[in-house]
Amino acid sequence: MARRTSRRGLLGSLGALLVGVGALPLLPVARGAEKPAKPGKTEADHQDAKQDETSCHYWRHCAIDGYLCGCCGGSASACPPGTVQSPVTWVGTCHNPADGLDYVISYNDCCGKSSCGRCLCNRNERDMPLYVPFRSNDYDWCTGSSVANIPYHCSTARVLARAT
Amino acid sequence: MRTVRTAALAAVLALTCHAHTAVAGPAVTADPLGVVATLPAVASPHWVWVNDIVFSHMSDGQALLVDGDSGRFLGMLSTGFGFERVVLAKDGKLIFSPETYFSRGTRGTRTDVVTLYDPSRLSPVGEIAIPPKRSANMPMMADSELTDDGAFLLIYNFTPAQSITVVDTRSRRFAGEIETPGCALAYPTGARSFFSICADGALLDVHLDDAGHVSSRVHTRDMFDVSSDPVTEKGVRLGSRWLFVSYGGTVYSIDITSRGLESGPRWSLLSDAERRQNWRPGGLQQLAVHATSDRLYAIMHQGGPETHKDPGKEVWVYDLGRHQRVQRIALRSPAGSIQVTRDDRPLLFAAFIGSTTLEVYDAKTGSYLRSVENVGTTPTLLVTP
Repeated sequence: MARRTSRRGLLGSLGALLVGVGALPLLPVARGAEKPAKPGKTEADHQDAKQDETSCHYWRHCAIDGYLCGCCGGSASACPPGTVQSPVTWVGTCHNPADGLDYVISYNDCCGKSSCGRCLCNRNERDMPLYVPFRSNDYDWCTGSSVANIPYHCSTARVLARAT
Repeated sequence: MRTVRTAALAAVLALTCHAHTAVAGPAVTADPLGVVATLPAVASPHWVWVNDIVFSHMSDGQALLVDGDSGRFLGMLSTGFGFERVVLAKDGKLIFSPETYFSRGTRGTRTDVVTLYDPSRLSPVGEIAIPPKRSANMPMMADSELTDDGAFLLIYNFTPAQSITVVDTRSRRFAGEIETPGCALAYPTGARSFFSICADGALLDVHLDDAGHVSSRVHTRDMFDVSSDPVTEKGVRLGSRWLFVSYGGTVYSIDITSRGLESGPRWSLLSDAERRQNWRPGGLQQLAVHATSDRLYAIMHQGGPETHKDPGKEVWVYDLGRHQRVQRIALRSPAGSIQVTRDDRPLLFAAFIGSTTLEVYDAKTGSYLRSVENVGTTPTLLVTP
């Protein structure tokens, strides 16, 4: 059954609801509604965002779908207090511009409370439909958690290994 | 000064009293307590259920009913945690809603049920207990569907083991569970049959007996190219055909025949020039069909290969007989979900999970008709009678 890797991803298309994060407010899913970038944003700003784990543009978030745990009291790899990290998830592959390498990212969800509601982010690099579960960010990957079966709080983006 | 003000006020009062006297009619009678509105027994074909997972507060799912002709908000259902969508009984006399609850709101014992609602009163009239396995995912129409004769409700489970819960709507009982390892969702194909889509691009073709148990199951050959350009799971049905569209805009037809499920012709939503301009389909409920005019509606936008969930500001309309586009409808706002009513004066509904405005268009002319504001929180699927 479940390869014990990868992640959840309920959100699918909540683009316009992106909150928090700040500097680069547009989710890929909202591209249809995208407005021109605000003046003053530079390539350096964009590169900074790719290394900021509270940013939707953080390099590990290339296929994330949900609230960023780094904005919810946790981090890109740790759940916020009082939640439970689901062991069953889905995996993506993301490119780290800092070292030029690709990494396998496990998008474990943090579970057991209502939605965090902060830093909503949906990116879909290599995302697959629901019929390829362990490559789909459209499942609530709190599913199957023995102590918190489906209440979704936020999503982490753990590095598993270098992609080969 | 005070005298002037007093005089002016007196004059206004006098005029007001005079005006009231002039239009005086029967006095307003006291309103009785406890009056609750009901809806007509037969739904209008122009009503739409706007299903809402309420992403920011998922224990509070909602289904909101709107009249597309008047823009009037008619009522709603409260539908529990991780709500996907209502399923309307074939005879219109009941609403089925697969729901999940926890004994302490967001924790405690999980209970899954199919709640039965009276469509006139929008109140629960019964419930059917089902295994607490209902899939929690971004809502898709194929999460729950009725067989063609309405006898069985099929509900997709993901724990992450995959299976289908079968509910007998006649006895209002859980009929059983069908394991579908490697295959997801339920697409009805007849009175006693459905298929699931498998991760290898094949279909699991399942037939049921009268008790809702499996009578046959066939793993078909590969129907879809999963590795290079996967179809979305957002298929639409038109009679004996299911239509699926790939990320890149290729239309696949799955034909329901007496010999089983067969691949029909493949064609593209896009010309070469449009493909070069990066046009592609996108959205959560990105396709709709209108049977009598044989039309397919698709939400389109311009974007790269990973924008398959992006909303679009255009709906392209295709003649399914000729596989040719016949119309481009410009939307006022980006849409991720569309639906077309079944009647001969069809409406096109458009919504987006990131907006609370439902837009209504004439589906034949593409003319904008009206917007309905403040419909839900994060609208997902649109379901019409």
